[in-house]
Amino acid sequence: MKNSYNSLNFKKVLYITFFSFLFFQFLTFKSYSDNVKNGEIIVQKMIADAKKHAIKTIKLSPKERSLKIEKLIKRFINLDFMARATTGSFWKKATNTQKDDYKVALLKQISNTIEEHLNTLATLTYEPLKSEARGKKLVYVKGVIKDNSKKIPDVNLLWKLAKDKRGDFLVLDLEIEGISLVSSHKAETMAILRKNKGNFNALLNTFTKSE
Amino acid sequence: MKKLKFAFLYSLILLFVLSGCTNNLKISAESTDPFESLNRNIFAFNKSLDNSIVSPVSTAYVKTIPHSIRKNVSNHLEWMDTPSTIVNSVLQMDLENTILASAKFMLNGLSFGFYDFDNNETKIQKKDLGSTLAKLNVPEGPFFMVPLLGPKTFRDFTGTLSDRQSLSNISSNSVNKLSLAEIPVNLVDKRSKLAKNIENIYASPDPYTKMKSFYIQNRRKNVYGDSYLEVKNKKLDLEFEKLLQ
Repeated sequence: MKNSYNSLNFKKVLYITFFSFLFFQFLTFKSYSDNVKNGEIIVQKMIADAKKHAIKTIKLSPKERSLKIEKLIKRFINLDFMARATTGSFWKKATNTQKDDYKVALLKQISNTIEEHLNTLATLTYEPLKSEARGKKLVYVKGVIKDNSKKIPDVNLLWKLAKDKRGDFLVLDLEIEGISLVSSHKAETMAILRKNKGNFNALLNTFTKSE
Repeated sequence: MKKLKFAFLYSLILLFVLSGCTNNLKISAESTDPFESLNRNIFAFNKSLDNSIVSPVSTAYVKTIPHSIRKNVSNHLEWMDTPSTIVNSVLQMDLENTILASAKFMLNGLSFGFYDFDNNETKIQKKDLGSTLAKLNVPEGPFFMVPLLGPKTFRDFTGTLSDRQSLSNISSNSVNKLSLAEIPVNLVDKRSKLAKNIENIYASPDPYTKMKSFYIQNRRKNVYGDSYLEVKNKKLDLEFEKLLQ
C-alpha cells in the first residue's frame, strides 16, 4: 500500500516537473519572440521617422538639421551604452562631468554622420530580412537598403538592440556591410586615450576640434 | 608556350600547397601595427595627395561624365579584374564562383566588359591572392599604409603584388599596357564611389585609426565571409551583455 502511494507521488512530481519545464520553456520562447518583434518594430519606426525628418527639414541648414536629428537619436539609440562601450575601461576613471560631455560629443558625431546621409536615405527603400534573439538580452535585426534606380548597390544592415533600464528597446550598435560602428568608434577613442595616457579631457578636446 | 607553362606550374604549386591545408578560422582581435608612426606619415601624405589631386579630379569626373558612362567604365574595370577572381576561385576550390565568374567574363567580353549583359544579377565574390593566402591560414601580418594604394595588411599587399605579376606573365603585352594605363582611371573611379565614406573618415577625430578599423573589418568580411561575422559577433555579444548588466 505504502509502495503504491510512493510511486503515485513520484509520478505526480514527475508530471509537475515536466509540465512546469514545458511551461517555462514556452514563456521564455514567447518573451524571446516578443523581443524580436519589438526590435523589428523599433527599427522600422526609426527608418520611417528618419525619412519623414529628411523631407521635413530639407530646407534647413546642415547645422539646424543636425540639432533636430539629435532628438530622433535620443529616442532610438542607447547613448549611455554606446558611450560606455566605446571607451572601455577608461569609462570608470572618468568624472561625471567628463562622462556627460563625452555623451554630448558622441551625440554630435552621430547626428553629423546621419545628417550627411539623410538625403540619400530618403530616396532608398528598406527591406527587413531575418531577425533573431541572441542570448538573453540582445536582438539582431537584419535588413537591406535598396536603391530602386540601381545607381547604388544594395547595402546590408544589422541592428543590435536591447532593452534599457526603463524597459524601452533601443539600438546599441549598427553594422553596415559587416563594419560595426561601435567597434570602429571604440578603436578610434581608445587610440586617442592611449596616446594621451587616459586623459579624458584630451579626448574631449580632440572631439571638439573635429566638429 | 612559355607563359602557359608558367601558369600551369604556378597553379600546380599553389594547388599542392592548398591541398595540405585546413580551413580553420583564426582571427586575432586587432591587426598589429608596429609601424604606426611611419603609417601615420604615409596616411598624411596620401591624404594631402587626395585633397590636392585625386579628390578634385574625381569630383570633376562625377560632375561632367554622365552616370551611364561612369557605370560602363566601372564595369570595364571590374571585368579587367575578373581573371584574378577566376584563378583564385580555382585555387580556393570554389567551383560555383569559378563557373559564375568565367561565364560572366566571357559574356561581358563581347563588349570588352563595358556593358554588363547580366545587369549585375549574378553575384560574384571578388577573390585575390590575399584571400587565397588567408584560406591557407597565412597570418594577416602587420598593418601598413602604402603610398598611393592606401591601407593594406602584409598578406594582402603580397597578394596584390603577386596577382599583378602573375597576370602580367600570362597576358599579352597590349593587355599589360592597357591595365597599367587604367590605374589612374581605376583610382578616380574608386574615389568617386567611396567619396562619402572618405569624407566621413577625414572628418573623424582620428582619421588614421578609423580608416584602419574600416579597412580591417571590411577586408576580413570579404575574405572569411559569414564565419568571420559570426566569430566577431559572438565576441561582441559577450562584451555587450556584460555592459548591459
